[in-house]
Amino acid sequence: MWATLFTVCRKELTDHLRDRRTATMIFLLSIAMGPVMLAGMSYFISSIEKKAEAREVYVHGKENAPQLTNFLARQDITILEPKPDFRVLIKTGKHDPVLVIPKDFEEKFLTGAASVELVYDDTRQDSGNVSIGVLRRLMRGFNAEVTNQRLIARGVSPLIGRAVEVRDINMGTPAQRAAQILFMIPFISLIVCVTGCTAIAIDMTAGERERGSLEPLLMNPVGRGALTTGKWLAVGIYGIGVVALTLTGFWLTLRFMPMPKLETVMSITGMQFLGFGATMLSFAPAMGALQMLIATNGRTFKEAQTYVSYLITVVSMIPMVSIFGQLKDATWQLFVPMLGQLMVITRILRGDPVDATHFLIPLLINAGITVTAIMLIAGLLTKEKIIFGRA
Amino acid sequence: MIEVRELKKQFGAVKAVDGVSFTAKSGAITGLLGPNGAGKTTTIRMIGTLIAIDGGSVKIDDVDVAGDPDGARRACGMLTDSRGVYTRMTARENIRYYAELRGMDTARSERVLARFVDWLDMGAILDRRTDGFSQGERMKVAITRALIHEPCNVILDEPTNGLDVMSTRALRELIKRLKAEGQTVLFSSHVMQEVAALCDEIIIISKGRVTAQGSTSQLLAMSGKDNLEDAFIVLADMHEAQTEAA
Repeated sequence: MWATLFTVCRKELTDHLRDRRTATMIFLLSIAMGPVMLAGMSYFISSIEKKAEAREVYVHGKENAPQLTNFLARQDITILEPKPDFRVLIKTGKHDPVLVIPKDFEEKFLTGAASVELVYDDTRQDSGNVSIGVLRRLMRGFNAEVTNQRLIARGVSPLIGRAVEVRDINMGTPAQRAAQILFMIPFISLIVCVTGCTAIAIDMTAGERERGSLEPLLMNPVGRGALTTGKWLAVGIYGIGVVALTLTGFWLTLRFMPMPKLETVMSITGMQFLGFGATMLSFAPAMGALQMLIATNGRTFKEAQTYVSYLITVVSMIPMVSIFGQLKDATWQLFVPMLGQLMVITRILRGDPVDATHFLIPLLINAGITVTAIMLIAGLLTKEKIIFGRA
Repeated sequence: MIEVRELKKQFGAVKAVDGVSFTAKSGAITGLLGPNGAGKTTTIRMIGTLIAIDGGSVKIDDVDVAGDPDGARRACGMLTDSRGVYTRMTARENIRYYAELRGMDTARSERVLARFVDWLDMGAILDRRTDGFSQGERMKVAITRALIHEPCNVILDEPTNGLDVMSTRALRELIKRLKAEGQTVLFSSHVMQEVAALCDEIIIISKGRVTAQGSTSQLLAMSGKDNLEDAFIVLADMHEAQTEAA
């Protein structure tokens, strides 16, 4: 039994690693993922912060409102002249929001009917939305100042214009705010757990059928269960290898690439990194088993690839459910593959506490998936349709 | 020795094998001859444990195939029409994989391998990756890995299909050698000349039933014809004639 597992596993790994092109591709992609993703996140966060802190705003027609211009100058704001075709540029996402002051501002200002326009496009998902917030805040400040002056001039306390004072107290730590953006890291890492072992899982199931090597293989006095388990071991080891490379990439980047902006929002300790790794490492072999089960039904590599791509689609949809459904962390999610892993890794990155159940429940679910898949595959290998059904 | 008794297999409404019985004796070559779709391959797959038996029984050296499939797999070596090899591995690695699955140590498998390399003239291809092998070269690898455990019973399903003259000849020589060593050889074919040239006993199968069996001369006498081709046509139709008469 053990000898069979070892023989099958070693053969499958040797065989698959000789497919240099596929193996190199998978390994390079997994090791490069950490650096690329973290560098991207770091750039994204620092560009948001830069805009939030920016003391620069675009104002069109500043000469029409000397008092407003003066207010902005006192706030230490630099006024920039927008490009002439800024309306078109905003629509295409190539220009930051612009404050437009009409020609008749000054005369209407005296009668209290003045208006300005904030030109932006909220359908654009770039960081332009940050500086629209800055513009709004500045205009609120200007309004308050003018109102106060007018009330005082009339001998009225400015407090009368403010029934309720609203103060912002944001309870989110910077790490939690960053985790909202950083959801990409668990998402992509978990997808790697699935796609990392797709090629080998298909090659040793549907590939075996396509080559015509399954029938002679089954003539050996080896149990179908042992054969399948040996193959799964190979897939599991391969998947763990891919995940380990991905984690190494992440770790090296965090360790050696200075990313001060990222560190302010995401500082991972050794223990947290272990939790992150453990979650991925228990997920990959189960996904490998599931893909083997699906791929066994394919008569050719291509056919199996199509079937497996359905699984990958479903797995990538699950985080969307979590985001759009605005799910709050709950224990039941730990029982759902992908959703549970996503929750645990997000908690780790966000700095929320995790305990043993966060690892044990998904581990048990993964073990259940693996054992069920192996038993079903062993059953399929007795079916004439699978053994002889060739394209 | 392989004993087949009243073997039956049905796919939906089609009776693929309908009560086939015969015995393939040790130290003899037994040929299953029949037209395409006669039930030869299904019979062979049942003997080789690859498909479930619906009725009847098969015994390989007293091992009941249905009761102890792994025992039957140890007792025989089978070459089917699926001769896929692992193309990223060498011929030797392909063969050694099967030897290891059968629990053989390297010394023994290398010793058996050396004999096959000699018989089938595989020296030049043994340590080459099998990618790009010709049909004949693939057959040599496939038959060696199937027989690496030196089974007493050898089952070959249409072994010469798609092979050139040289490979066919090498295979025939191998079959004769196996017989000389006292092994039971059962092989199926639809090529009469091949069966006539090699077999001690011929079983003619048609429409899932055995219609005639015996040596070449016995079959000729039975059909009343003077050449095997005519004899085959008469004997293959015999079952139909019998049913119609009944």
